[in-house]
Amino acid sequence: MRDQISKYTGKLLADRSACADGIAFAAQDDALITAGAPDLAALAGGTLSRLNSLALVAARPSLPFADFLIARAGEGEECIVPQDTETRTFLHDIPFLRKKDLAGDPAPVLARLLGNRKGVIVEGIGIVAVGAITVEQAFINYSSVFHSTFVKYLQDLLADGFRLPGEREAFEAFRRQWLRPLFAEGLDFAGALSLDKNGILAEIERVGRYTVERGLVDSFFGNISVSAGELIYISQTAASLDELKGCIDPVPADNSSTTGITASSELLAHRKIYEQTGARVILHGHPKFSVVMSMLCDRKRECAIKDCWKECPHVRDLGGTPVVAGEIGAGGLAKRVPPVIGASGSAIVYGHGVFTLGRQGFGEAFAAMVDVENFCREEYFRQLDITKA
Amino acid sequence: MFGWTGKLLHVDLTRGTCERREIPSEILHAYLGGRGLGVRLMRDYFRLGPFEPDMPLIFAVGPLCGTNSPTAARLACVSRSPLTGTIYDCSAGGRFAWRLKAAGLDALFITGKSPHPVVLCIDPVRDELHPAQSLWGKGVKETVAALKERGSVTAIGPAGENGVLFANIMMGEGNSIGRGGLGAVMGAKGLKAVTAQGDGVTGIADRERFDAARADVMRLFLASPVIFGELGIAEYGTPALVDLMAQRRMAPTENFRSTFFAGSGNYSGPAIRKECGARKEGCYGCPIQCKKASAAGEPLPEYETVNHFGALNGISDLHAIVRANTMCNELGLDTISAAATLSAFGEARGRFPDAAEVASLLADIAYRHDQGELLSLGSRRVGEVLGKPELSMSVKSLELPAYDPRGAYGMALAYVTSNRGGCHLRAYPISHEILRKPVPTDRFSFSGKARIIKIAEDVNAAVDSLVACKFAFFGATLEEYGELLSAVTGVEYGPESLKAIGERIYLTERFYNCGNGFDRSHDTLPRRFFEEAGSAGEGIDVPPIDRARFDEELQKYYRIRGLDEDGGFGDRDLLGELP
Repeated sequence: MRDQISKYTGKLLADRSACADGIAFAAQDDALITAGAPDLAALAGGTLSRLNSLALVAARPSLPFADFLIARAGEGEECIVPQDTETRTFLHDIPFLRKKDLAGDPAPVLARLLGNRKGVIVEGIGIVAVGAITVEQAFINYSSVFHSTFVKYLQDLLADGFRLPGEREAFEAFRRQWLRPLFAEGLDFAGALSLDKNGILAEIERVGRYTVERGLVDSFFGNISVSAGELIYISQTAASLDELKGCIDPVPADNSSTTGITASSELLAHRKIYEQTGARVILHGHPKFSVVMSMLCDRKRECAIKDCWKECPHVRDLGGTPVVAGEIGAGGLAKRVPPVIGASGSAIVYGHGVFTLGRQGFGEAFAAMVDVENFCREEYFRQLDITKA
Repeated sequence: MFGWTGKLLHVDLTRGTCERREIPSEILHAYLGGRGLGVRLMRDYFRLGPFEPDMPLIFAVGPLCGTNSPTAARLACVSRSPLTGTIYDCSAGGRFAWRLKAAGLDALFITGKSPHPVVLCIDPVRDELHPAQSLWGKGVKETVAALKERGSVTAIGPAGENGVLFANIMMGEGNSIGRGGLGAVMGAKGLKAVTAQGDGVTGIADRERFDAARADVMRLFLASPVIFGELGIAEYGTPALVDLMAQRRMAPTENFRSTFFAGSGNYSGPAIRKECGARKEGCYGCPIQCKKASAAGEPLPEYETVNHFGALNGISDLHAIVRANTMCNELGLDTISAAATLSAFGEARGRFPDAAEVASLLADIAYRHDQGELLSLGSRRVGEVLGKPELSMSVKSLELPAYDPRGAYGMALAYVTSNRGGCHLRAYPISHEILRKPVPTDRFSFSGKARIIKIAEDVNAAVDSLVACKFAFFGATLEEYGELLSAVTGVEYGPESLKAIGERIYLTERFYNCGNGFDRSHDTLPRRFFEEAGSAGEGIDVPPIDRARFDEELQKYYRIRGLDEDGGFGDRDLLGELP
């Protein structure tokens, strides 16, 4: 398990979601092992030993957004409830512990909270997430909490502005220093894809790595496919986009085989997009600013629909990219994205993420996703600057 | 009380009495229902032989049954297995569980032996035993039809009456209480069938919380390709796994001599849909509807059944496989054990049965005619009688289902640590080793598997006590089901407290088994898996399992479980520690 801990420590560093000196893991097989920053490692070990689970990560996020959310929460509140799809589907809510409530060893109370949820936030300490059966699962849950708190904080900031001492300065540092330019230039794409299986697999693996390396998506969030004659090659469910080797399913277009039962839950959406657009490739990820902006709607106050993420029938627009509602998998997403994506080559799903097309290969799809996210990033800051003004 | 009725019906078949009794609420809170409650109620009886009159046969529903909690209209049947000698439980759907709960019962506790065949009829007004001589000897379909006016029916067929060690109890809708031979236990009591009907409603403590939790579960179902994906089990039923297991080179073939069968495409999910006009069927109130039926309404076979009447016996004729499934349902035979016993018998005599011979042998087994007398005892005893015990592909005498352990090492470990013998549904590592849920694990590695199997056994013991369907957990988790349970009962439960309940149940079962002589020597696989390779292909090698590594992981498992090196409890009085 030490190799797994080493691997996922490296991933937390590579995706810049945790501070280099603030990462610790605990894992238990027949014995408990801990690794990483000593204080956090002790906390991780003390907490995991109280749980019927295999692994746990305790890490200090590289951004203070989770702490800000706690500080902005009302006095009696014990959890935050982000509205993005990741949270709604997999996390439900994210419990937190305030610094003032941390007397003595926090491990028992942390274990109690983690007995009901996949991840919690401890003010001043960081995000603690559990993996029921693998170290990777702990990493995924950490990433989910980081993603959701990032999105919620940006949403709240746009709605309410700065409210805490030092908040404005920290956010400016995030904006000027943490965020990096997002661009597609300098990457190699295969151009027009042939029907060659090995070539397709290699290209999907490479593009998956690019999306993570360029910061479009955190590892794990998204899926990729190629249409090749009678087959759709699509990344598998629960596959990390930067590790797709051996995790791509060839699915017959006529459903004559069910080996693709392990394919991404978005297979149906991909299939229908291909049927309606004639595209060769689809790229899907969860870039954060696109997720944030997809949930902004100036009609919310007067609109009768409250479950916007699945019920909204309107097609909104973000810089020429249509925004639609729809639950993931076999939910409404598979119905609502295919009719709108053909014209622009991209679509955003409410609170969820971005789909982009390539008519010949991934160069077009990748650039489109970068453009969508860059537009949303710029639009976010434009609106924030207006709000602040 | 919300969720539970707090009532148990005690039926003494020797005396012909039916009496409703209270179940202490602390027992319900600590064991939930289903498997947990049944196992707890076995505490004073587990040393009895399966066919002794005082051995209880227990049917127990769960606190979610009667609500519209997804997949929870199920029950567990618990007793001691005549096939394995272990404590035994089986989860089953259909409508009977819902009707039993609606009749005001959490459990049915049947002891004794009737001097003549009887049917137990349950409704909210009275619980009665009725003579059933006219039904004795009848098949399941005819029995169910004769009793349908009395509500939902669960019954045995000729196999149960005749003491076949892998006889099922069949639900009227085609579901089965399978594998361990509880049909023979029921038959030994002279009980042909039980009917239940009622109009009771399960109370829900917090409706708003319940609705939110239910919506969470349904969202996760939609997000699961295994459940609602276009190639998933809602579309094709469990035969959706046929193609996958073939591709992964782990489809047991010719009594596990190989792991790939070229003819498996004939009985894949798409093939069954095309050839049999498969349409959706399922348990009461279940949104998944994974059962499939023919256009004529005949239940179609599950994945394990098609593989074992197919590849395991070298048969590729889909219609012959469907006929075998229908025969087993009608006779009240377990399909996995029946097919695996035929396969072991086939290898022993040097010739696997052909499609036509399968049908005649199944009838012989149910009526214990000719060769059926021996075959009715299951593959372990058949192997021993024929002087080839190594050809029984079983663990603790329970025949292995259709996941070759050489292709998934967690499955290999799970088979031997299962308290009811060679069963895929206890830890169910296929979920992560093959289907990538909740996250993928390396199927050709033992690393971490001891802990993973232990956790999964605890989780699934809780799931079997809720009583929910394991397929729900290809999407949802104990987080969402804990919310459902808390909302229904008004008692707070979460994943960790549910796993603690599961652990209590698992250890109780193991304690019973150890008390009946089971130890480490029974926690092993047939030697074929350690000595012979499976079928390589598509870039996949399927080598024999490394026995030393397997044993090492098993010892880790014992340590994690708090057991001694022999897999036992030493001087520990576990039952004295538990509620």
